[in-house]
Amino acid sequence: MVDASIPMSAARASFLDVWLARVWRLYPIFVMLAVWEAIAHSGLISPLLLPTIEKVAQEFWQMVVSGDLVFHGSITLQRALIGFASAIVAGIIIGTALARVKIISRILEPVFIFGYPIPKISLYPIFIFIFGFGDMSKIVLVFLECLYPITIQSMYGMRNAERVLVWAAQNAGSSNARLFWRVLVPSAAPAIFAGIRIALPISMIVTIITELIGESRGLGYVVAFASASFEPARAMAAFVAIAAIGFCFDRSLNWLRQKVIYWQADAPSLT
Amino acid sequence: MSDQTANLEQVMPEAKTAFGDQRGIGILVPLAILVGWELCGQFGLLPRYIVAPSKIIATWWEMLSSGELIGHVGSSMFRQSLGLLFGASCGTIIGVLAGMFGPIGRFYEPLVSLIYPVPKVAILPLIFAWFGLGDLSKIVVMTISIFFPTYIAAYHGAKSVNKIHLWTAQNVGAGKARLIRQVVIPSALPDIFNGLRIGLALSFVLMVTTELVVSTKGLGYVIARAEENLRFDRMYAAILTIAILGFCADRLLLKIREYFLVGQLMSKDRGHG
Amino acid sequence: MSQSARIVPISSGISRPPQTTSEPLLRVESLTKTFDRKGTRVIALDNFNLNVDDGEFVAIVGPSGCGKSTFLHMLGGFESVDGGTMSLNGQKVTRPGPDRGMLFQEYALYPWRTVLGNVMWPLEVQNIPQTERTEIADKFISLVGLTHFKNHYPNELSGGMKQRVALARLLALNPKILLMDEPFGALDAQNRELLQEELERIWDTSRKTVLFVTHDIDEAIYLADRIIVFTARPGRIKADIRIDLARPRAMEIKKSPAYTEYRNHIWDLLREEVLRAREEYAS
Ligand SMILES: Nc1ncnc2c1ncn2[C@@H]1O[C@H](COP(=O)(O)OP(=O)(O)OP(=O)(O)O)[C@@H](O)[C@H]1O
Ligand SMILES: [Mg+2]
Repeated sequence: MVDASIPMSAARASFLDVWLARVWRLYPIFVMLAVWEAIAHSGLISPLLLPTIEKVAQEFWQMVVSGDLVFHGSITLQRALIGFASAIVAGIIIGTALARVKIISRILEPVFIFGYPIPKISLYPIFIFIFGFGDMSKIVLVFLECLYPITIQSMYGMRNAERVLVWAAQNAGSSNARLFWRVLVPSAAPAIFAGIRIALPISMIVTIITELIGESRGLGYVVAFASASFEPARAMAAFVAIAAIGFCFDRSLNWLRQKVIYWQADAPSLT
Repeated sequence: MSDQTANLEQVMPEAKTAFGDQRGIGILVPLAILVGWELCGQFGLLPRYIVAPSKIIATWWEMLSSGELIGHVGSSMFRQSLGLLFGASCGTIIGVLAGMFGPIGRFYEPLVSLIYPVPKVAILPLIFAWFGLGDLSKIVVMTISIFFPTYIAAYHGAKSVNKIHLWTAQNVGAGKARLIRQVVIPSALPDIFNGLRIGLALSFVLMVTTELVVSTKGLGYVIARAEENLRFDRMYAAILTIAILGFCADRLLLKIREYFLVGQLMSKDRGHG
Repeated sequence: MSQSARIVPISSGISRPPQTTSEPLLRVESLTKTFDRKGTRVIALDNFNLNVDDGEFVAIVGPSGCGKSTFLHMLGGFESVDGGTMSLNGQKVTRPGPDRGMLFQEYALYPWRTVLGNVMWPLEVQNIPQTERTEIADKFISLVGLTHFKNHYPNELSGGMKQRVALARLLALNPKILLMDEPFGALDAQNRELLQEELERIWDTSRKTVLFVTHDIDEAIYLADRIIVFTARPGRIKADIRIDLARPRAMEIKKSPAYTEYRNHIWDLLREEVLRAREEYAS
C-alpha cells in the first residue's frame, strides 16, 4: 500500500548500517546473477548460448589487456558524444529561435513537430551514400535523432516561461538581454534538460544500431561479430562495456542536472 | 507601454494572435523546396541517391497498388504491434503495481535503474543466437526495450498519486481494488501515456532496425534490398511509408490520450485552487 | 441528508443544557504530532486534549500553521499518531472510515471526473443504485448552486466553485461526523453567507457532530456551539468558548450585543497568538 504516513527517523544509524542497507537494497541484482550462474552451470543450456559469468569476466579482461576494449570503446564513445554534443548546441539554438522568432517558427516548426514521431533511422542507408560508410554517416544520424527531442523541449521551455515571471521582470524594468539570461534561460532550463535526458540514451542506441548494421569497428560491431562467430562470452563482455558507458552517461548527466538546476526536484527519466 | 507589450510578444510569440500574416510561409517554404527538388530532378541535377518526389510517389503508388507494400507493412506492423503490446502492457502493469506495493517496487528499482540507461538493442545479435532469425527475436528485443520506459512512467505515475486523492478514497471507504482502478490508474494515466508515446516511437525505430539487420520481409527489408540493388526510388517509397505509419500511429495515440484525459488536460493552474 | 435526520426539538431562546458527564463522542487525550524534515523537527501538536459530544458543532480557529489541518487529518485517520490517544465512541481511531467525512482544505476533487462524477463517487463506493445516486448528487449540486456546471471538470472551475463541489461531495457521503477544513475559505462573500445559512439549517435538522476549521471568526460564532482557539505552534488549546446563542440562528444574530462580545473576545485571543506565531517564525 502507499505509505501515507511519514516514517519517523530511527536513532542515528551507524555508518556501517547505512552501507549494509544500501547493499541489501541491491539484492535483486545478485539474485539475477545467481540465477544466471546456476542455469549456466546446470548444463541445461549450451554454453554457446549462455556462458558462465566467469567466462564473460575472463573475456572482458582479455579485451582490456589486448586493448580491443579501449579501441572499440573509444570509437563508439566518440561517435555518440560528437553527435550528442552537436545536437545539444544546435537543438538549444534552434529551439530558442523557434520560440522567439516568429518567422523561423512558421517555417521550421512543422518540420520538428511532424518529423518528431518519424523513425529517422530509416534514413541511414541514404546517409551511407551521402556521407560514406565511416564515422560521418553515423554521427549525422545520432545528431539528427538527438536533435528532435532537444529542440522541441527547448522550444517549449523557452515559450512557456511563466508569464508572471516575465511580467515581474519587465515590471522591475529589466532589459531584454537581462530578461533573456536571467528569466527565460533559467525557467527553460528544466525543459532543456528534460530534452537532453531523452536524447542521451538515444545517442547510444543509435550509435550501437549503426554499428550493428554495417561496420568493422565499435562495440556494436564487436557484439555482432562475436555472436555471429559463436563467441557469446565475448559478445556479452562487449555488451557489458556498452552498458557501462550508457550507465555512466546517465549518472553524469544526473549529477550535472543537480548542479545546474538545483531548484527543481528530480524528475524521472523516460528512456 | 507599447514598448513593453512589443517586448513581451517578442519573448513569447504565442502571446500574439495565432493567425498572423506570416502564416502562409509555413506552407510556402516547404512547397518551394519540394518544387525546387522536383525541378532539379527533372533536369537531372540531383545525385543518383536523391530521387525526385514525383518518382518516389510513382514508385510508392506502384508498390501500393500491386499489393506488395501492404504485405511488407503487414509483416512489419505485426512484429511492431506485438512487441509494443507485450512490452507496454508488462511495463505499465508492473510499473503501477511497483508504484503501489513497496516490496515489488523495491525489487525492480535496482534492476531498472541499472538497465534502463543501457542501450538494450546491443543484445540483438545475442537474441538472434538464442531465438533464431525470425519474428520471435525481433519481438523479444522490442518487448525488452519498450518495457523500461513504460515501466518507469507507470511507476512514477502510481508513486506520485496525490496523497489527498488517496485519503479521499479511504475516507469514503473505497476498497483496494477500487482504489487502484478508480484513483491510482486515472491519476497515473498522464504519465502512463507519456511512457506509451516513447514506447511507440521506440517500437518503430526497432522495427526498422531489426529488419535492416536481418529480415526476409517488411519495410526495413525493402530498404535493405533496394540499397543493394541501388533502387533508390523503392528505398524512398519504403521510407515514406515508415514515416506515414510512425506519424499516424503517434497521432492516433495522442487522440486516444485526449479522449482519456479530458478533465486532466484542461488548463492546469489558473491561479486559484 | 434527511435519510438519517434525527429531529431534535429546537430549544429556541434557551441555551443548550450543560453537557452531561457521560462519555463524550470524541475523546482526544494528550495528542502529539511531529514532522521530521531533514535536520529539523516540527512539532505540530503537543499534548492536545479535547472532548466533543455527540451532535456538537465545534469550530476551530487559530493562527496559520498551528496544526489545525493536521489535527483533522489525524482524526480522519489519515495521518499517523505520534503520541496520545483519540477515541470515538470509546474506540481508538486508527484508520479512515466513512463515518468521519472529511472536507480537505485543498478540495481533493478528482480531475478526471466531472462535477457530477465527483459528487456521485462516495455513493458509487457505497453501492447505491444508479438512479438514486444521480438523484442525491443532483440534490446536493443544486444546494451548492452548481447545477449549471454539473458536467464540467474541476479544472474548468474556479477555486470557490471547486470548494462547493467538495462540500456537495461531503454532504452526499452523509457521514456521522463532519470534519471540515476551511470549507468556505475560497468562497465569495455572498456564496459564503448562503452556504453558512445552509449548513446551519442542515445541522439544525440532522444534528451531526461537526468539527469546523475556519479563519473567519464571524462564521465560527454564527455556526458553532463551541469555539476552540488554538495557540501558535505547537498547537494546544488556548480557549474553549461556549457560544450561547439561540438556534435556529439567522444572519441578524450578528447584530446582537452578545455576538459582538464573543467576537471581540475571540479576536483578542487570536491576535495574541498570531503575533506570537509571527514572532516565532520570523526568528
Ligand atoms: N507533511 C508535512 N511535513 C512536514 N511538516 C508539515 C506537514 N504537514 C504540516 N506540517 C507542519 O505542521 C504545521 C501545522 O500544519 P497545518 O497544516 O496543520 O496548519 P494549519 O493550522 O492547518 O494552517 P492553515 O490555517 O494555514 O491551514 C505547520 O507548521 C507545517 O509546517
Ligand atoms: Mg490548514
